Amino acid sequence: MMKKHAAPTQRAPQTRTLDKNREKPAIGRMDLPFLLLVLALTVIGLIMLFSASFPSAYYESGDAAYYVKRQGIFAVLGLVAMFAVSKVNYQRWRGAAKILLALAFFLLILVLVPHVGVTRNNATRWLGFGNLTFQPSEIAKLAVIVFFADSISKKRDKMKSFREGVLPYMVILGLLAILMLLEPHLSGTILIVGVGVVMMIVGGIKAWLVAAGVGGIGAVGVLFVKLVESGGISYGAGRILMWKDPWVDASGDGYQLCQGLIAIGSGGLLGVGLGKSRQKFLYLPEEHNDYIFAIVCEELGLIGATIIMLLFALLILRGFWIALHARDRFGTLMVVGITTLIAVQTFLNIAVVTGLLPTTGISLPFFSYGGTALALQLTEMGIILSVSRQMPAIRAG
Amino acid sequence: MAPEKNHQQPNRKPEHIRRVNRIVQSRTFILMLILGVAAFIALFFKLYHLQIRQHEELQEKAVTQQTRSTVVTASRGTIYDRSGNIMAISATAETVFLSPKEISEALSDQKTTWTKEFVASHLAQILGVDEATILEKMDRTYSQYEIIKLRADEDVANEVRQFINDNDVSGVYLVTDAKRYYPYGTLASQVIGFVGTDNSGLYGVEAEYEDQLKGQTGMVVTEKNAAGTDVLYQYEQYYDAKNGDNVVLTLDSTVQYYLEKGMEEMVDQFNPANGATGVVLDVTTGGVLGMASFPNYDLNNPSAIYSQKIKATIDQLPADQQPAALSDAQLKQWRNKALNDTYEPGSTFKVLTLAAALDEGVINMDTTFDCSGSITVQGATIHCSNTAGHGHETLVQTVGNSCNPAFITYGLRLGNEKFYDYMQSFGLMDGSGIDLSGEATGIFMDPADFSELDLACYAFGQNFNVTPIALIAAQAACVNGGYLRTPYVVDQVLDSDGNVVKQHDNTPVRQVISEDTSAKVRECLEYVVAQGTGKNGQVSGYRVGGKTGTADKGQTGDVVVSFLCFAPANDPKVMMLITMDTPARDTGTYVSGGNMVAPTSSKIMSEILPYLGVEAEYTAAELLGADATVPNVVGSSLEDAKTKMQNIGFTCKVIGNGDTVTDQTPVGGSIIPGKSTIVLYAGTTKPDTPCTVPDLVGRTASEANTLLTNTGLILKVSGATNGDSSTVHVLSQSEAAGTQVAAGSVVTVQLGDTSVKD
Repeated sequence: MMKKHAAPTQRAPQTRTLDKNREKPAIGRMDLPFLLLVLALTVIGLIMLFSASFPSAYYESGDAAYYVKRQGIFAVLGLVAMFAVSKVNYQRWRGAAKILLALAFFLLILVLVPHVGVTRNNATRWLGFGNLTFQPSEIAKLAVIVFFADSISKKRDKMKSFREGVLPYMVILGLLAILMLLEPHLSGTILIVGVGVVMMIVGGIKAWLVAAGVGGIGAVGVLFVKLVESGGISYGAGRILMWKDPWVDASGDGYQLCQGLIAIGSGGLLGVGLGKSRQKFLYLPEEHNDYIFAIVCEELGLIGATIIMLLFALLILRGFWIALHARDRFGTLMVVGITTLIAVQTFLNIAVVTGLLPTTGISLPFFSYGGTALALQLTEMGIILSVSRQMPAIRAG
Repeated sequence: MAPEKNHQQPNRKPEHIRRVNRIVQSRTFILMLILGVAAFIALFFKLYHLQIRQHEELQEKAVTQQTRSTVVTASRGTIYDRSGNIMAISATAETVFLSPKEISEALSDQKTTWTKEFVASHLAQILGVDEATILEKMDRTYSQYEIIKLRADEDVANEVRQFINDNDVSGVYLVTDAKRYYPYGTLASQVIGFVGTDNSGLYGVEAEYEDQLKGQTGMVVTEKNAAGTDVLYQYEQYYDAKNGDNVVLTLDSTVQYYLEKGMEEMVDQFNPANGATGVVLDVTTGGVLGMASFPNYDLNNPSAIYSQKIKATIDQLPADQQPAALSDAQLKQWRNKALNDTYEPGSTFKVLTLAAALDEGVINMDTTFDCSGSITVQGATIHCSNTAGHGHETLVQTVGNSCNPAFITYGLRLGNEKFYDYMQSFGLMDGSGIDLSGEATGIFMDPADFSELDLACYAFGQNFNVTPIALIAAQAACVNGGYLRTPYVVDQVLDSDGNVVKQHDNTPVRQVISEDTSAKVRECLEYVVAQGTGKNGQVSGYRVGGKTGTADKGQTGDVVVSFLCFAPANDPKVMMLITMDTPARDTGTYVSGGNMVAPTSSKIMSEILPYLGVEAEYTAAELLGADATVPNVVGSSLEDAKTKMQNIGFTCKVIGNGDTVTDQTPVGGSIIPGKSTIVLYAGTTKPDTPCTVPDLVGRTASEANTLLTNTGLILKVSGATNGDSSTVHVLSQSEAAGTQVAAGSVVTVQLGDTSVKD
């Protein structure tokens, strides 16, 4: 990005003192490849949502476009928010960090107050009324990213100390996790803790802690699966066993996964054609939500699904590229957090739908139905774009 | 920030900051590789596995659950007779079925205006089905397919459709199906056979040629959603049905009709306890021209007992015995007795003994025999039918008299081994191989146990069992020059475009006897009909050969009476074997093949032979009796009229005193027997009152003629015409005694020699 609009802005103190001529706080153009990828995924996501949702929309409400209309409105709102946020100097988020975190805690507690939170499928994860609801955990994700980025970027090499670099964050993450598990909301917990931990790692905590953490999580996971297999524990056993072989109970517990696999498999190389999915005709539950990618695979085939995965991969790579070239650690960490969130969500969603990992209810960014989530995701993209506008001129060619 | 450093002052930041930044950079980079590259590679391989490697397996699962396939029945092939008449054909019909699931769903919708009871009562009324049954089926709400009426006719189906549309009923469907029709009803029922509810052949040609007739079932695949209803958009895929091949029989419906008509009269008259069967064979090809079994049934309603007598008997049984009796009677009427059942043939088998003995040269045309009335073999005495003995006989006379001692002697001259070989050679041991299902195999003694006494019994056709079809195939070989051919009923299989898919090959299986021997057999058998026990099988105008048979059924005292005949005797074209199992003894007719079956055979042959285009060859005497056309002589002088009539051969009887013919009976243009008497009215008015047919049975031919002429009717005779002998009597008459018929009508009487003994 070329620096066209050189304008004064807030800078890191050392930059301010050392920069003589060229090192002005640079508000450049936003990163065009990243913007195009976001727009492409949003548009394709809306198209696929319409395709996947029209049968159930028709059967439920009589209006085949019911879901896509609502999603479209939120997409527009989200895009407006994204552009607005991209114009804002991202340094301002530092000031909002503590407020956001406090708000997240408040909302997560509020949602647990009887008769306040909205309960669906035995889980109380929503606030709001009627059709207009949102999950406080979405706010919590953003709050963790902003707060961690602000806090970690200030600590520099103090991150190496356990007391400074690990403990406070573990406490925050632990409290959030407890609140969310009370809803219960396992997938949201995994995402928030995952993103928080990733930010701590990137922020510079001790390497052995990283190794111990990664190794520990892996060991616990393997141990859990082994215990379930041997019948040692029963919690989550259904999910694990169904993941191992969903076909043993294809009409019961394994139904959703099997229907998803049928959708994916019947798509083949080229797919059955856009709009022509048969599995969406009430066979596949959550076909416009967590399982939308199965419909994508069925309609567009391996080729179409791969192209969409490639778009996600490029978005994530470009996101990290922006992180690597961000003006400061705060920018880097925020972009790493947001990109990681999108990446983990995408990976987990597709991995669950394809049976690579046991079932957790994680939606696919830009595709799954959920207006507030989409709007928030686009707002987060706006933060990344805002960071990209301040990248120093580094391109050599 | 790292690149920035390289471009600018490297030492601007403290070392610990730079180290922190390096860690952030490198860890971000690793994260980028993990989340942006490695994760997607893993996902891609998983997707590749599902969408390419497991594609077919999963697609099959998808198709199975997503589609509903409706079977399109292929049109079953048509069965034609020899001349292209349709014996069996499939026509469109519609099956009405319910989807109880959809009905219950519709009923739970408040917009629905109809009720279950409303639909059930209307359907019951239109289709003639029990209302309670429909309601019961509607309650199976888990089901989507409950048949209400199988194969309803088109107009009924239209009524149902109208009802559905008028009342906006859902869950009631019609599917096109095929229904089998048999235009001739009972004709050749056991040969053609019928189909079951699934439209697959159960008996006869329908069963034997199932694979050719059924065709290839097609399918319409429609898509359904998980709730079982059709999806929003139309998705249908058709797999065309391939129609079945058509089958052309050797059977001739006209020949079959004559055969059945003649046999039905015979069966009605003699009331055989175990039914009767008849086969008409083309001896030059082995093709079956006609094949009948009694009791028979209506192909369009095979479960109903067709014989009124049997039905009445069942109806009189106690209610608890009726189902068993009914199913027993059904199985009996479905049996093709010509090949499903075996019997001891008796004297008609002597044809084969004669042929074998002549062929081996152990007898010749000059052989003579002295019959004492019995013969003793291995200490057992076997009687001749004429216990007084036939005395001195020539060879043809032994055949004509059906002399048992003579044939036992011929058999013994052949010897056990030769005799057995001939029976094998005639194909009796393996069955005829006819292309109909369920052919029984004959029952014969093991050659190791085959004693001289057994041979003696076999020689005149007792103590072993064969099917009529296997026997007639062997007998045909005896008269057609010696060639054994496999009898068959299907000549051609044609595809739906008329191309010949399969043509029967009538190449002989083998030559069993020489042409010369065959000619001698024919000579002997012609004598049987001309002079011997087969006299009643004579057909005026034709040289007929034949052999009677009255076979004991073990020691029961019951018999199987039969008659074999073929014509023309010098150059056989058709052969017919009729058997009747256990005829009633109280009919007043002497129980023998010659008395009970031969007259019927004669009647049938007299109709079949002209139909098949076999030229009649009348003797001078018969020529006088040939039919002639009555000239119109009204208006001419009495003298002229008389001359004209007498020149043709008619006799005249004048009523009235005038000189001019004012009327005549029969009217000009009528074709009547040439020896008939014409009534000429001269000045007297012809009475227009109908005539009452007199009872002619038991009268001689001349008595019958007088009686009829006096009544104003014309006599036509058939059967044993070459005897004015006092032993020839009327056996039956075409118009029953007491019937009112128009003056000048022709009454045909069947003449027969009531004194013949087999």
